[in-house]
Amino acid sequence: MKRGFFLLAVVAGSAAAQTPSDGKTLFAKNCAACHQADGRGIPGAFPALVASPVVTGAPVDAAEVLLKGRGGMPAFSGSLDDLEIAQVLTYARSSWGNKAGAVSGAEVEAQRSALGVAPPNRSRFGNKH
Amino acid sequence: MARLTTSLTRREFLYRAAAVGGTALMLDTMNAWGMGIASKVSAPPTLSGSGKGKKVVILGAGVAGLAAAFELRKLGYTVQVLEARSFVGGRCQSARKGFSLQELGGEAQQCSFDDGHYINHGPWRIPLDHQSTLHYTRQFDIPLEVMVNENDHAFVYLEDGGPLSGKRLRGAQIKADMRGHVAELLAKSVQGRELDARLGADDQMLLLDYLRREGALEQGDLAYKGRNGRGYAVNPGAGLMPGAGTPSDPLAFRDLLAAKVGKVYSAVQDFPMHATMFQPVGGMDQIPRAFARRLGGAIRYNAEVQRIGQNADKVTIDIRDAASGKLSSVQADYCLCTVPLSVLRMIDTDFSDRMKAAIKAVPYAPVGKIGLQMRRRFWEEDEQIYGGHVLTDLKGINTISLPSNGWQQKKGVLLGYYNYSLDAIEVSALTPQERTEFALSAGEKIFPAYRSSFESAFSVAWHRVKYSLGGWAEWSDDARSNAYPVLLEGEGRVLLAGEHLSYLTGWQAGAIESSWQQVERLHRRATA
Repeated sequence: MKRGFFLLAVVAGSAAAQTPSDGKTLFAKNCAACHQADGRGIPGAFPALVASPVVTGAPVDAAEVLLKGRGGMPAFSGSLDDLEIAQVLTYARSSWGNKAGAVSGAEVEAQRSALGVAPPNRSRFGNKH
Repeated sequence: MARLTTSLTRREFLYRAAAVGGTALMLDTMNAWGMGIASKVSAPPTLSGSGKGKKVVILGAGVAGLAAAFELRKLGYTVQVLEARSFVGGRCQSARKGFSLQELGGEAQQCSFDDGHYINHGPWRIPLDHQSTLHYTRQFDIPLEVMVNENDHAFVYLEDGGPLSGKRLRGAQIKADMRGHVAELLAKSVQGRELDARLGADDQMLLLDYLRREGALEQGDLAYKGRNGRGYAVNPGAGLMPGAGTPSDPLAFRDLLAAKVGKVYSAVQDFPMHATMFQPVGGMDQIPRAFARRLGGAIRYNAEVQRIGQNADKVTIDIRDAASGKLSSVQADYCLCTVPLSVLRMIDTDFSDRMKAAIKAVPYAPVGKIGLQMRRRFWEEDEQIYGGHVLTDLKGINTISLPSNGWQQKKGVLLGYYNYSLDAIEVSALTPQERTEFALSAGEKIFPAYRSSFESAFSVAWHRVKYSLGGWAEWSDDARSNAYPVLLEGEGRVLLAGEHLSYLTGWQAGAIESSWQQVERLHRRATA
């Protein structure tokens, strides 16, 4: 398990190599820490994604949440590309009893452009506080 | 008339703002424009009038709430601080033996560092620029020590650094060699008459003189061939061996360029990271503890805010005792709420929709740190690194920081990673044991003794910490123009304060200076 995480982390770390990742893996890395692996969230802190109208609603609205952030949640537009956002949304929309349709990378790309959100830079350096 | 309005300069506008709303409005206006005057505030506002007979309830015993309580009391107000945790400090925490933390959705962690060792897993440095924080450390006699925030003898380690990948460079090597090579290039350009169009003859001579010194260039051919400030291959010493020592060779200019060292290293620190940086002796939580000693019984612990309500005459705070589950209410004339917006957005209030929307407009930073206790200070003993940061592009690590206390002792606690945003989210999905493994696997690439010296770990992912839900407010430009002024204004008898209502987000100085501003605003409202 640890080893698996590492291989993945190292591959993802090289900026040039864009390995295809599936929605479930992306979810585990980017979402599960707060929304939990079962999508049920933590009451009073992290919203449930199960039966969530935001998750299962129009793809553009769901994409906007990841592109711009929502409430306490940060935007993922700088760290995930359009295809990755589409994959992770598709996973959340079709898991734990959710039955909404898939989201395409093109839909996310169009929404990113419509909202004027900058492309991902994958920047991770800093010395902030 | 319309023309006059559109041509109003900032300066004119500020004069008018000051005329209409006094200096406070002028300062707010300047802050809203990002002019950052707040960072120059070094003492609480001097206010006239008394708050005697009036009660203020303060939500949160973090640094903002504590500073507000302390200052409001001096003005004569009766203050009560409601704190959800069983201890003071908010995000200003230090983990030492016995400290426990259970992140939401995570396992309970108990810190088991040896006595005398700790990690500041919240705020960890006090810059010289933050005179507001230093105002209280001075006033409360909290001993400070220098926090080594700049150490050019510490390593720069790049995994994606082209020809310099996987090498343990010293900051001083990069600084000396980049400056030397760039100085050589520029000096030769002057000599080759390539800058004639830009610089007069006299200035060219002055520039050459500067570059010879700055870049340690050879007098004749203006070449950079290294300098002793980058370190020797063999240090000088006594007798003939080592005697004068052996100089070291500079890194090649092309290699340095190809390594893109600028992505982790800069010879000039950004504001406010430059020296001198301080830390309280014994842990950052010495600051909230000093406030708490002065506030005594005014702080009520385990008081979880359930609802904030107000009418024309008073504020009512419904609370739940986190230990017993018992419900009760507190009433006051005014409320200063220092609860992070990430948490406040979940609390039931009778705020207007506009205010509620503003509270929800601000995302919070995912932030992670891990403290690792090492049985041996190998960074000092083997590498001669005393404090400071190892800068690296190793994924999810960002920096490995060596302790600025306990020099030459046997053991030490270092900071194994300090990550933000996606990195922090990814690492926070790991169990405490997996986080430790993650940190050790990275650190052992740089320090051979890293893994074998490891004893125990304590990690935090602030976005998963109850009552905090994030490291600090991360404002967008949009939210700064729309939500920020609404939040600064507060509503009726409820005002907000905290690092989130400053341009010093994530700093204790932001919390303190925001409280000072809001104390003044509250006092004006209460004595109007």
